[in-house]
Parts: sequence; structure tokens; C-alpha cells
Amino acid sequence: MSESDRYKGYRGPCVELMKRFGITVWCEVRARTTRGEFAGLVLPRSETSDENHIVLKLNSGYNIGLRYDTIQSLEKTGYREAHYKIPEKEFPVDPELPRVGLFGTGGTIASRLDYRTGAVIPAFSPGELYGSVPELADICNLETEKLFAVFSENMGPEQYLILAEKVGEAIAQGCAGIVIGHGTDTMHHTASALSFMVQRPPIPIVMVGSQRSSDRPSSDAAQNLINATWAAAHGPIAEVMVCMFGPTSDQYNLLHRGTRVRKMHSSYRSAFRTLGDVPLAMVEKGKITPLKDDFLPRRDDREVTIEAAFEERVTLIFYYPGMHPDVIDALVDRGYRGIVIAGTGLGHVNRKIYPALERARDAGVQMYMTLQTLWGFVQMHVYETGREILGLGVIPLANMLPEVAFIKLGWAMGVHPDDPEAVRELMTTPIAGEITEREPHDGYLIFQGGVPEVQEYLGKVWR
Amino acid sequence: MNQDTRETGVRPPGDFNPQTEPVLDFPDADYGELSAADYRTLGFMSGLEVHQQLLTRSKLFCRCPAGRRVRKHDGEVLRHMRPTLSEMGEYDGTALMEFKTKKEIVYLLERGSVCTYEMDDTPPFDIDEEAVRIALEIAQLLNLDLVSEFHVMRKQYLDGSIPTGFQRTAMVGLSGVIPFRVPQLGIDRELRIRQLSLEEDACREVSDIGHRITFRTDRLGTPLTETVTEPELLTPVELQAAGLLLSRVAQATGKVRRGPGAARQDVNVSVAGGRRIELKGVDNHRGLPQLVHIEAFRQLNLLRVRAELRRREVTAEMLACPEEGLAWESSPNALDAVAVIGPCDYAPINAALDRGERVIAVRLPGFGGLLNHRTQPGVTFAREFADRVRVIACPVHRPFMIHSDIRDHGLDRRQWRLLSKQLRAESGDAIVVVWAPEEDADTAARELLTRAQEALVGVPAETRQAFRDGTNGFERILPGPDRMYPDTDTPPLPIPDAVVIEIRERLPEPPSSRQSRYEALGLDPVAAWRLAGAPWAKLFDAVAPASGTVARRLATCLEQRIPYHQRAGRLAYLAEPARVAPLIRATEAGETRPEAMERVFDELVERRDAPVEKVLAAYRSTPDDLEELERSVQEVVAGATALAGRPPDAVMRWAMGVVMPRFLGRLDPALVMERVAGTLQAAVSEVGT
Repeated sequence: MSESDRYKGYRGPCVELMKRFGITVWCEVRARTTRGEFAGLVLPRSETSDENHIVLKLNSGYNIGLRYDTIQSLEKTGYREAHYKIPEKEFPVDPELPRVGLFGTGGTIASRLDYRTGAVIPAFSPGELYGSVPELADICNLETEKLFAVFSENMGPEQYLILAEKVGEAIAQGCAGIVIGHGTDTMHHTASALSFMVQRPPIPIVMVGSQRSSDRPSSDAAQNLINATWAAAHGPIAEVMVCMFGPTSDQYNLLHRGTRVRKMHSSYRSAFRTLGDVPLAMVEKGKITPLKDDFLPRRDDREVTIEAAFEERVTLIFYYPGMHPDVIDALVDRGYRGIVIAGTGLGHVNRKIYPALERARDAGVQMYMTLQTLWGFVQMHVYETGREILGLGVIPLANMLPEVAFIKLGWAMGVHPDDPEAVRELMTTPIAGEITEREPHDGYLIFQGGVPEVQEYLGKVWR
Repeated sequence: MNQDTRETGVRPPGDFNPQTEPVLDFPDADYGELSAADYRTLGFMSGLEVHQQLLTRSKLFCRCPAGRRVRKHDGEVLRHMRPTLSEMGEYDGTALMEFKTKKEIVYLLERGSVCTYEMDDTPPFDIDEEAVRIALEIAQLLNLDLVSEFHVMRKQYLDGSIPTGFQRTAMVGLSGVIPFRVPQLGIDRELRIRQLSLEEDACREVSDIGHRITFRTDRLGTPLTETVTEPELLTPVELQAAGLLLSRVAQATGKVRRGPGAARQDVNVSVAGGRRIELKGVDNHRGLPQLVHIEAFRQLNLLRVRAELRRREVTAEMLACPEEGLAWESSPNALDAVAVIGPCDYAPINAALDRGERVIAVRLPGFGGLLNHRTQPGVTFAREFADRVRVIACPVHRPFMIHSDIRDHGLDRRQWRLLSKQLRAESGDAIVVVWAPEEDADTAARELLTRAQEALVGVPAETRQAFRDGTNGFERILPGPDRMYPDTDTPPLPIPDAVVIEIRERLPEPPSSRQSRYEALGLDPVAAWRLAGAPWAKLFDAVAPASGTVARRLATCLEQRIPYHQRAGRLAYLAEPARVAPLIRATEAGETRPEAMERVFDELVERRDAPVEKVLAAYRSTPDDLEELERSVQEVVAGATALAGRPPDAVMRWAMGVVMPRFLGRLDPALVMERVAGTLQAAVSEVGT
């Protein structure tokens, strides 16, 4: 065992103390301290915790910390090293069932906890997944590939390109559906990137994550995985979708279109919502109920257009009152080629930054307007401000969500690096539902709690 | 216990009673019939886990108000629990059992008492500092060794009582010893405390019908301490006394919740040859002794059943059931009974058939006659089977089970014979018939065989529910050791010496030293023990009686009068020390006689607006008391002529009744009586002459 493994996570005074008494992690010890005597197993310490405490696992299963300067002596009474492994069971193959490809990006859609240290160990191979969610074997024959091991917030253009290519390959290889496990924070960014890069796929491409890790009995991971896999294997919708909880109750999942979905709560199970429209479908216990009829249907062919490209010098700025023009100037100076603005109201910014917008336009930077309100359309003809901004070359993007517009702009500029007109054309032409012609009345629903009729409704449904 | 779980080494010690040989020939006895020596013979051992809610403003991991109890709700959430794999890659027995029940768990939400944290839709906020301080205070009163850093752990509960599927809990202190002295029970030793942890309370169950269990969430997340004693309480009354002592210690802080459900106890009990059984949720001390007594004999009787099964050479293999398929298709011990018994006169079975349910007969080889064996008062061994089916297969309709040890019930003799024949049952076998929807019927049949296998072990490791009548019923399999793991959502919390010392310096007086202090003051040991735990001990201390006589009188006075005034609604909680102290001072100075104490106390309470001195004046002796007594006595005796011819003692009582109240507190009753008697005597002799 290496030096760092022997004192895993410990630093400074604790390492000194451990060395003095000949103790390493996984030693069973009796500790005499100024606060009494304690016996337990020395656990590795989390690297982010302070350097002053030694962690013991007691016989009762509890962990406790002992401060180094309370410890008078440590007596080694045994040694029990443990490395937690996820049990692997062979994933049964049933020739009657469709083939589903599962790509892992590093989110812990299925994971187990190391019961001693609390470290999260991702479960990913079919065998590991089968051990955790045996129901998957009744749905499909699963093939998995781990593409990256990054947290959701570290997913970016580099990963989008690889993912798009991999999806293309899986389609060519005859998969009936694709599931992509992803951290939830930026799942909607990746979903929209894939919506543009993978056009007219013949099969469902379903992104899934979990808001509660699967080491919890109350995790949403198993239901999400089961429903996503079902939608991929048997669902009628051949689009890039996100499959997450409908309500926070364990009832059904929703399939959201990749370009209209957004994470709307930091921690609710039902964090993902379709904005400005209704979701594509509900999935529950092996049943898919479409909520719209304008989806792209599953096809038997293997044709798909993969356009994997991304220009990284694009940005998204969230306008605020009093914004100074130098914010824009700085972007232009640094060579940014495209700017998506999330403007106020119908798509506005203050007069103060007009000169900067003008300079940007003259420098050939493309500028697009989206809305901070998230719901509704950019309408720049209503007020004079809007008309002035239009005059500065800012192009309205209807009801495209700001993050989607950012991803699309990066993609469009990647596809047409030297053709601004083609980019403009592409940006204003819907290709994956990112702009809709109309907003249905139930496309905007944020119930206001406390209002009697809403309370009455909430009393009747499971949240 | 299998090899794997032993290797993890985290199973709490003391699961098996150290005395391995059961005392099978010990006759069954009712509670109250046995001596301490008898319990020793039985190998009776018990320990307590006391859950005490803390009096904090907020809940432990969110800022919802603590202590709010609601009856309505304005939202509901539906959840399921999935077992998670243990450290060894296996499912915990409890977890598996809870999963078998396939429960839909519904949580009732009320906006004022829960937020998205309790719904498990938001990660925990910082641990409540007030709760941490109270826990540290109680831990120090228990003389525990305090940890230097709290690590919040997750203790799995899959019964749905906590929406996350685990309870957040942190170890506060270990290995404490406190004086344990209960004079009236002859207890004078130490009580060893194993540990104290700080944890969040679970939901309140509203209903549990079929596959749906409903919980109210108002209580969820309330901070509580769990205090665990060593299993060294060797008689039922000792257990009760320890429970009282622990609640006294907690209440000494003045920072714990009181009232229904604020303090709940789990009791661990075993007898020789048995193993630890956890009886859950006892919310008062009164019923404790009978409860554990009955459990002791339940275990003894399960061990008798085991001995008989061993004699009959029943083995686990005879009761095995293949995992695949439906039980009645794969096991020779089970069959679909409908075809065999034909048309039936028994209404519950007919109703089940109308509902499209299955009726399954299960053969238990070698169990003939044992299902009628008494295990608890009014309860037979068959209940062990019925309980398992009830909890795990979740039948909605009652009854759901009959058995062949009661042949004249449910089926007729011919039908039982047919079932026996078809199941190849011999005379020493028992047959159990259950009915439920197909999937549940399968679970039920398997559970019957599993419970029968466990009968060969004797006392299965279970958590059991305490009933009001002192009996208990199956609640769930006792959780294994793997259900505890670190909470990755909360950072460790250092507990610096400065905080520990600051709390220690303001520690309230522990009940045991109060008790000694009262004894030293002159109270007899039992009275001292009672006062040490009484809510009015504070008042007693505040008015600080200096002499033994006055202290004894005051202790009695408060014990008798305070509950009375409370019942009458006159005393919100306690009388004010400032109103009572002058009375004690006057008594100590001999200005008011001790007999008057209760009367004056009553008046101080009843006449809230009257100045203390004014109330007291009527009971303070004056130099003219003796003269006034003479006048009074003469007056009364003169009036007594109307009573001529009545028995002399009746006349005496009447006269005292008139005279004494005028001098209560002022003159010695013996003196008053002597004067009244003397004067009456003289008057009588005069009349006589």
C-alpha cells in the first residue's frame, strides 16, 4: 500500500499522530483520549474535511471523529481492510427483446455507496445495473459503454461531439433505442446539442438521470432508468428526449423534447419541465401515452444525419438593468463570434449598451435575442426599444430557450464557420422543435400555491 | 446470523442471550407473580432505547417549526422504497421484507409543518444548533464520553416512516454511568448507558390498509435524542425504573418536549435460549413491566415449540419452498385449495372467491397441535403466522387465515380430510389455509413456510409492536448491521472543548444529586426519590426549606396540593416561589404552625389577588391567641347544649370542627383539643349535677 493510501485523506497532525502510534487506515484501534476511551475502525477521511480529526467506525455502525489533540494513545487491536464492490450479475439475454445501447457520461444514474467511507461508486456495466435494477432485463438486451467520467457541469462541446458520433454508430449497428445516462444539471444542454447534431434519427434517443442517488431507498434512479429504457426499446417517438419524473411522486415519467426541456428546480424529482409546450408523452409501467401528435415516429431504416461541430467562441449573457457596454466590448475584444442575449420582457436591453452592440455588429459578431422570462416569444416590434435593438442587428429567436439558443448558435457556427448568412438562416429556422409556431394555453403553467382553487387541485392529486 | 454479516463486525453486540439453555420447565406465570430470583432463573435481560424529542424552535435539518401537530393536510406524495444492496452485496433482511410488501407509501403534507426537505426533494440544511446543544447537555448529564466530531449517518428504514428511506442520526457520546438508586425497589447501583445519538423523528402512521400505508409528516424531522442503556435491567420493574430515571435526566434540562408521543421507548428483551427482540413505541412507563414480562414468556414458549419440533425431527428442508414460480405450483407443501375442498360454507372464503382471490392450503410438517400452543395471554402460536401474513402479504380483508388445529372452524372435517389427503399430510402435520389475490397469496404461502422454518431457530430476530393490553405483535424483521452508512449530504461537525465546557458549566443538577440532597435535608429516601423527579422540585428548591420538619411538610404539601390545583385548572403550572416563600419562612420561625401549610398554600393559590401577608396573617400566632381560645371555647360550649344527649365523641368532633379552624396555624391542635375537651367535660358534669 502506498504512503498516501495508508493515511488516505489524512494530513498534517493526524498523519503525524498515526505514524507515532503505528496506525494506518483500516486499523482497528482503541483510542485513549481526554474525552474518554473509544474503540473502532480507522476510516479514510474525506479530502475536503479538516485535518484535525480521525474518523472511527464504531461497532454500532456509527462514525465519529476524534480530534488529534484529544488523543493520548492509539492501540492497534486488529486490521480490517474493506473495498466495496458492486455485485455483478450476468445480464440475461433474451432474443425476443430489442437491443438498447446505454451510454454513460459520468452521472451517477446508478450507483452504490461504499458503506464505510460513504464514497459513491457508479454502477454501470450491464451486470452491475442488473444487480441494482433487475427489471431492466425484462425490457431489453442492454449494451453499455462508458464514454466519459465527468460530472454534469463538466460536460461541454468536446463531449457533445463524441456523444453525437457514438449515437450515430449505435444507430448504424442496429440498436432499437439509445439511453444516455447523464448528470441532471446540464442534461438539457446536452439534450439540445444532440437534438441539433443528430437529425432525424430513426430510433428514440433518451437522456436520463436521477435527482436522488440510487444508494437511497427512495431514489428516483430505478424508475427513471426503467422508464427511459422502456421508451428507448419500445417507444414510438424517434427524437432526442429527456426522461425524468413527472410529479415528485413515484408515478410516471415524462418524455420531454430535447430542445424544450429545462431543469427548473435544484433538487425536486420533478425538476424537468417542458417550457412553452406540453411534453411529448408520459411513460408508466410499460405504457407510453403520447401527449402530442407532432412527434417524429420511429422508423425501421438506419438513416440519420450526424452534424457534429461546435464553435466554442459563442456566449450567453443574462442582461441586467444598468449593464455597462464594456461587458459586450470585452467579449468582442476577446474574439467571441456569437452572443445570445437573454433580454428582459419581450426582448429588451438598455440604451446604454447600444454603442457596444453596434461595435459588435460591425466586428461581425452575430447577436441573437432570447428571453429571461423563459416563457413567451421575443417580440421586438411592440416597443420602440425593441425596434431600436433590431436596428442594431440583434436577431430575435421567437420562443427558443436561452440555453438552447446558445447551444444552437455554437453548433450552427461550427457547421458553417465561414458563412454568417447560413448561420442566420439556420438560427431562425426550427429544425428540432426549438422554435414553435404557437404556444398552447397550457404550455405555460406555474401554479400559484395558496390560491383556493390550486389548493383544491393539489388536494386531489399526488404531488 | 450468517458468516458474512459477522465478518463486517458492525452488528451490535448482545443479540443473543448469554444463557443459551432455555428453562423450558419454568411454569407460565402472570405479571406480578414472579420474584427477581425467578426472572434471574429465566435469564431475563432487557435494555432501553429512549427517544426523547427536544424542545427546539426548528426541526433538525430544516427550518420548519418543531412540535407542530396537525390534523389536516393540503398535499400528498406517493413513494415506494427499494432496498439497496448492503456492503456485502446482499439485501438486508428487513429491506427485503419491506420490499416484499410492495407498499405504496403516501405522505400527507401540511404547508405549515413541512417543506421540501421532509419530502426528500431538497438536501438537508445545517444541523440545528439548539438541538446539538441540548443533546450535548443531556449527554453530559449521563456522564457520556463525548465525540469530538459529529458524523451524520443514514440509518435505513424501508417501512416508509421516513420519505428518504433513512433516518439521519449522529453519535454524540458513549459509555456513561449514572447513579441508579430507587429506594422503594431496593435498587442502589449504577446504570450503564451505552450511547446517545441525535436524530430526526419519523412520520406518524395514519393507516395501513392492504398495500397502502399512509403517514402524516408533521412530526418528521423533529430533533430527538436516542439514549441506549446496556442490557442490564434484570427484572421488569427495574426496566421501568431505569426508564423513569432517563426521562428525569432529560427533563432536568427543561429543554425536552413533554406530552403524548414526546418520549417513546423501544425495549430490547431476551430470555435464556432466546435472542434480542425489540418492542417498539412504548410511550409510557406504566405498561412497561407487563409488556416485557409477556414477551419473556412468549420467547420461552417459542423455545418450547422449538424443543417439540426438534423432538419430532422436523427440519428446515421439509419446509423449503423453491424460489421460482407460484408457491402452490412449485412446492409440495402448498396447493390451490379451491379445487380440493369444493363448495364451501365459510363466508370469508366465499367472499374471497367472489373477489377472484386464491385460496391456498399450506402443509406444515410436524406442526400438528402446536398452532394452538399459548404464547401470550389469549394468543396462540398461530398468531405468529397470521402476523407475518398480515404484515408482509398485506391482505385487505379479515379474516384471511384458518388452520387445522381448530378443525371445527371454517372448513368442515371432510374438507380438512380432503386437504390432508391431497397434501399428503400425516396426523402430526398442521395445515394452514390463507386467501388473498394471487400475488399476495404466493407471498403468504411462502411466508408461512419461512416462519415455520424460523420456528426451528426458536425466537426469530424481530421488531415487534407493543399493544395496550401488554401483548405484542410482529412489526418487521430486526434490521441487520449494514443499514448504517455515512450521509454524504452533511459535513462533519466539530464539537470543540470550548462548547463542551460552556455547556458543562451551566449543567442543571442531575436527578441523583437532587435525590441525595433531599435526603440530606431530612426527607425519607422514598419521598426524596419522588420529589427529585417531580415537576415542583424547582418550586421546592426556590423556597428552600431549611429544616427537616418543614421540608417534609412542604414536600407532602406540594405532592398533594399541586396536582389537585392543576386538575381544578387553578394552577397553570406551578405556584410562584415569591408567594410560597413567606409561608415557609413563617413556618420555620414558628410563627405559623406546620399543620396549616396545606390550608395556607390552597388559599395562596385560590386567592391569587390577595397579598401574601394578608393571607398569612390569619394563620400567624399572636400573643392574644390563648385568651381568644378561652373565649371561643366558652362560646362553643355554651352553644353545645343543643346537642345534649348525643354521644360525647360526636359533640367533641363538632366542637373541634368549630373551634380549630379559627386557630389553625396559630395554636397546637393538641392544646386546642385539651381545652375543648376540658371545658366540655366541665359543662357536662355541671349539667349532670
